[in-house]
Amino acid sequence: MSETNKTDATVNMANLRGGVEYASQWRLMWDRFRKHRLALVSMFIVLAFYSIALIAEFLAPFAPDEADAKKVFHPPQMIHLFDTTNGFKFAPYAEAYTLTRDPETLAPIYVLDKEHKVAVTMFAHGFKYNFLGLIPTDIHLFGPKTHGETFFVFGSDRNGRDMFSRIIYGARFTLSLGLIGVTLSVTIGIMLGGVSGYYGGKIDWVIQRLVEYILSLPTIPIWLALAAALPKNWPPHLQYMAVTVIISLIGWTHLARVIRGRFLSMRGEVFVIAAKLDGCSEARVIFRHMLPSLASHIIAAVTLAIPSMVLAETSLSFLGLGLQPPAISWGVLLKEAQNIRSISAAPWLFLPGAAVVMAVLSLNFMGDGLRDAADPYSH
Amino acid sequence: MRLIPSRQLAIVVAAMATLPIAASAYTQAPMLDKLVQDKKLEPVDKRLPATPQVIKPLEKVGVYGGTLRSALRGNGDYNAILRLVSPQNFVRWTMDFNGIEPNLAEKYVVSPDASEYTFSLRKGTRWSDGTPLTADDILFSMNDLVSNKQFYSNNLAPFTVNDKLVQVSKVDDYTVKFKFAGPYISFLEQLATPLAQHPLLWQKKYCSQFHPKYNPHVADLVAKEKAKDWAQLMRNKCGDTEIATRWTNPERPTLDPWIIKEPYGGSATKVVLERNPFFWQVDTKGQQLPYIDRVQLSVISEVETIVLAAINGQLDFQLRHISGIQNRPVLAENQAKGAYKIFGSANVNANAAGLWLNQSTKNEKLKKLMRNKDFRVALSLAMDRKEINDIVFLGQGAPWQLGPYVSTSKWFNQKLGTQYTGFDAKQAGELFDKVGLSKRDADGFRTYPEGGRVSINAIAMISNPVHIDVLELIRKQWAKAGIELVIQSSERTLFYDRAANNQYDISVDVFSGGQDASLNPRAYLSIHPQESRMSLEWTKYYLSNGKNGEKPSPSMQKRLDLYDKWQTAKSQAEADKLFKEIMEEAANEFELIGTIRPALETGVRKANLMNVYQKMPSGWTYPTPGPTLLQQWFFAK
Amino acid sequence: MLSAIPFMFMVSLTVFILIQLPPGDFVDSYAASLSASGEVIDAATMADMRHRFGLDQNILMQYFQWMSGIILHGDFGYSFEWNSPVSALLWERMGLTLILSICTLMLTWMIALPIGIYSAVRRYSIGDYFFTLVGFVGLAVPQFLLALVMMFAGVKYFGIDVTGLFSQDYANAPWSWDRVVDLLKHLWIPMIILGTASSASLIRIMRANLIDQLYMPYVVTARAKGLSETKLLLKYPVRIALNPFVSSIGWILPNLISGAVITSIVLNLQTVGPQLYQSLLSQDIYLSGAILLLICLLTVVGMLISDILLVLLDPRIRFE
Repeated sequence: MSETNKTDATVNMANLRGGVEYASQWRLMWDRFRKHRLALVSMFIVLAFYSIALIAEFLAPFAPDEADAKKVFHPPQMIHLFDTTNGFKFAPYAEAYTLTRDPETLAPIYVLDKEHKVAVTMFAHGFKYNFLGLIPTDIHLFGPKTHGETFFVFGSDRNGRDMFSRIIYGARFTLSLGLIGVTLSVTIGIMLGGVSGYYGGKIDWVIQRLVEYILSLPTIPIWLALAAALPKNWPPHLQYMAVTVIISLIGWTHLARVIRGRFLSMRGEVFVIAAKLDGCSEARVIFRHMLPSLASHIIAAVTLAIPSMVLAETSLSFLGLGLQPPAISWGVLLKEAQNIRSISAAPWLFLPGAAVVMAVLSLNFMGDGLRDAADPYSH
Repeated sequence: MRLIPSRQLAIVVAAMATLPIAASAYTQAPMLDKLVQDKKLEPVDKRLPATPQVIKPLEKVGVYGGTLRSALRGNGDYNAILRLVSPQNFVRWTMDFNGIEPNLAEKYVVSPDASEYTFSLRKGTRWSDGTPLTADDILFSMNDLVSNKQFYSNNLAPFTVNDKLVQVSKVDDYTVKFKFAGPYISFLEQLATPLAQHPLLWQKKYCSQFHPKYNPHVADLVAKEKAKDWAQLMRNKCGDTEIATRWTNPERPTLDPWIIKEPYGGSATKVVLERNPFFWQVDTKGQQLPYIDRVQLSVISEVETIVLAAINGQLDFQLRHISGIQNRPVLAENQAKGAYKIFGSANVNANAAGLWLNQSTKNEKLKKLMRNKDFRVALSLAMDRKEINDIVFLGQGAPWQLGPYVSTSKWFNQKLGTQYTGFDAKQAGELFDKVGLSKRDADGFRTYPEGGRVSINAIAMISNPVHIDVLELIRKQWAKAGIELVIQSSERTLFYDRAANNQYDISVDVFSGGQDASLNPRAYLSIHPQESRMSLEWTKYYLSNGKNGEKPSPSMQKRLDLYDKWQTAKSQAEADKLFKEIMEEAANEFELIGTIRPALETGVRKANLMNVYQKMPSGWTYPTPGPTLLQQWFFAK
Repeated sequence: MLSAIPFMFMVSLTVFILIQLPPGDFVDSYAASLSASGEVIDAATMADMRHRFGLDQNILMQYFQWMSGIILHGDFGYSFEWNSPVSALLWERMGLTLILSICTLMLTWMIALPIGIYSAVRRYSIGDYFFTLVGFVGLAVPQFLLALVMMFAGVKYFGIDVTGLFSQDYANAPWSWDRVVDLLKHLWIPMIILGTASSASLIRIMRANLIDQLYMPYVVTARAKGLSETKLLLKYPVRIALNPFVSSIGWILPNLISGAVITSIVLNLQTVGPQLYQSLLSQDIYLSGAILLLICLLTVVGMLISDILLVLLDPRIRFE
């Protein structure tokens, strides 16, 4: 739309319309979207989340599966930016703690080691990896100056693994594979729901019986059978992908049923009849005229589907079908926190839940912003 | 380990400390007084045997009353009830699990060749409905049920010698004789475990109504109860070992200290047992046991919820389900709040997380390596057990391979337990090179001489997260040594299915058979069709006398031959010598790789619950806490 | 409506095949559980059990025997695990399940609809953001975890009883007024936990659908005509925004029975959900089959009701 030819054309048209400046539909939408401050911020957060997932290795100070027997259930700690022991200078550091155990309860107790500080530096050398899968390096955004020392901004888990690094790595699975399922089920749901509601009659009958059929199928034995049937030499992400595809093949039914309901009530409306009489193709009537009226609902459905997809993993792992170690996702991390020990002694293990909430909220606000921007009636 | 009376004397073991107590000296629980006054129940002297068994309370003589609360996990936890009431058989374990003492038998005589056992019952012992216990009840159980092909289509292992079922005959009304087809030295021990409860499980008077031999109209009953056949009806009404229906029929007479009042049905949220007014034991003051009036079991589906109930002080005794070391901190911290104390129970197993290397894996290249001791030793040396212990077991276990870890155990074998437990990456590397794995691929993993990465798959159960954590650590330790480990965790049934279909290279599970090695030798001998996972193919071969499966390795064959001799040994000394040879051969062969010996398990007991044997071992052959005699537990006022 | 019969037949057959799809059968799972506790069960005994339970027959034979039992005698088969007829096991739990589900459903709708309307009308107000945040937190926290945290807090700070829907005194008691009171005392925790996630999503759906309607020309016209704001809102846009709720009745009914399994397990609720889960895991096929058959029936009924309500709600809807 910003090509020169096009601009010329709009200018010409604007001239024809009597000097009023004309902006394309997309342009108007973008302008409206920009005014929606929260939506804009949310969009940047979403982008940030995806960037984090993309360069997880660079951002994570430690390898996500690096266990440390001397640092189990380490509470989160601050990174102090300024060292004030000998005057005031910029020298980021973290306190060092040593682990002892209560002899009776065996609960971990961390004692401040006053003699020692963990110096933290930018662009530290750490574990080796390939940046973006291409460039081999061992440089990380930040990390301990001395290789082998540790600090835990988000605490550590039962095996002494750094939660911060694990959450960053988890974003990768959750925001990519996790969303494939959502996309797939929403697409199928809209297509079949739309067709069912638009045409009614026999097609509707068949699709609705299909929905009933799928809703009646028990999922647990399907998962159990799948767990047994999936080839065991498949890597974890491939296994998981197969599972998400199956989830979405079942999950589309709800959306389809709702969209069908709305379509049934909408297809008699004046604007639909007008579009039909105008000679619009059926696809155009459905996708250009009817679906946009449901934009809010679809956005809500998508944003609602994401957390349930993330959480589906946690319930699947009861059956041995969620992601298996060494794969990490937010769902897996949340699953690991589901016991009394974590609730009572290590509440920081719930931080992945906060990550899920943040991701979903920003996706939702972004979606709301898009919807408002696209709605010609909104103010 | 176990004190079995020496055979030469054909000894008679008298009941422990039968103090002469005047007949009128027996007293009963206050809750029974009213019933006796109303003549609904006979006086206590009439209900007890002429010479009731006297139990010396562990700490002090108790007082009557109270309800013991514990938890069952969901619907399939019937064995937890059994563990609390304890299997009541002729004999029982001593509390310390080091010997056998008489229980329902007043005395027993063993023939010199250990093939004939004669048990004498206490005269006047009664079932919970007041009917006297006689030899006929045992004959009914053994001759009409155990040896009935419609009831058990196969011979029950604990009663079978040389493929022949025991012959049971009546000597007099209170004496029975068990005659085996050959020497059977471990029969008394078998009777003390929950695996051979059958002789005293069924009362003839009540249960014979469901038996076609005694009730010609049993078909009508079968139809009325919508059962399939009389055997099913019998199981529904009178129970069996290992099924829930034993606890679903309050009418079924038993010899247990408490009897079912509110049954363990499909949607029960609690199960209640109440004192058996005819229980046949008294304390040293002549008070009829049990002290505690009721046992109340909450049915809770989720383990974490059981932990919560324990913290909340809602359970007076709980070990099962919450005993994992991970729960120790949270249980210990809430002792004051929940008014309970924690105690440590030593597991009888040989290892908390053992690697069963599959000697018959379908991966032929790997199979060759698995059968090479150097390879197994290298795998073991490449493991850092200290790290595993510190992280997964909170530093409470210790590096260990196999065998009992208590040095006083009869079967203790230092070499079997501690060989190759050190972490020695260098030596491991040399051994891997020696067995032909010196080449590595692009990712740094070793490759077979014929090519292809050495990748080992390990199956584990989701229900044991500890095992998955252990594997996760080993995966990284072995990766450093150049061996790839692929972890496959699954739901329990699928785990067993994979094992049964030989779809695993390593299976991770506990090694059972530590202190109870001879009762439970599945980790030393390929004899258990589901659990001897060093090779289920060898087990098939052994059990089918060579018709199916795969021929065991020479070392295993040697052990199996020793085992056959052990089963029919004539003297305890001979038997012990044979079994020690089996253990020694297992140590030489080094078939299985262990990680950490079990840490003390954590249980809770109410602070004022007395006479609890705190050092109780935890196991199934010693059905914890049964042999600690819950009937002499009491609540201090 | 007659078409429902062959349809039910087809679904029940698929369901019956599906529940036997996982590897092994009941006897295998029984052997595995015995094995785990140290018992030995040999191959011959297993074969014997299979024969006793009829598991050695062809799956179609099993199905037809089961079906003919249901149709001819109203006999839903035998539960292997419980050695008792399935129907007895099922009805025991059904009552509680329905009470809990219906209470939760009412609570959810009572909370979600007003808040949803408020959020849509006062869009981008502080209140709207607050409910959005709370809603998504409710959605992103696994119910399992929420249940555990709430119970932990309950135990830690209030010392509440955590062993199910009744106190121990009333657990096996016959129904009485006191028992009802006792039930109500325990019911609120599961109601809140089970209701949180569904309320959150209902709020979002209501809000979204109402927003789609609020700025439609017909609303502007009505407002211009001077209709009172409440009447205007409730009579038209809300009515249309209810459409998705009505569409979803189809799976509310079966969900009443089988929903929230894991949560029910943690909260130790004696409802049908955990029973279904357990029976599926242990391959107690007639028990799980019967429950699933019921769910399937409820789905068909629910979809029918939902289609009828759709027309009542919006007379413009025609199905042909």
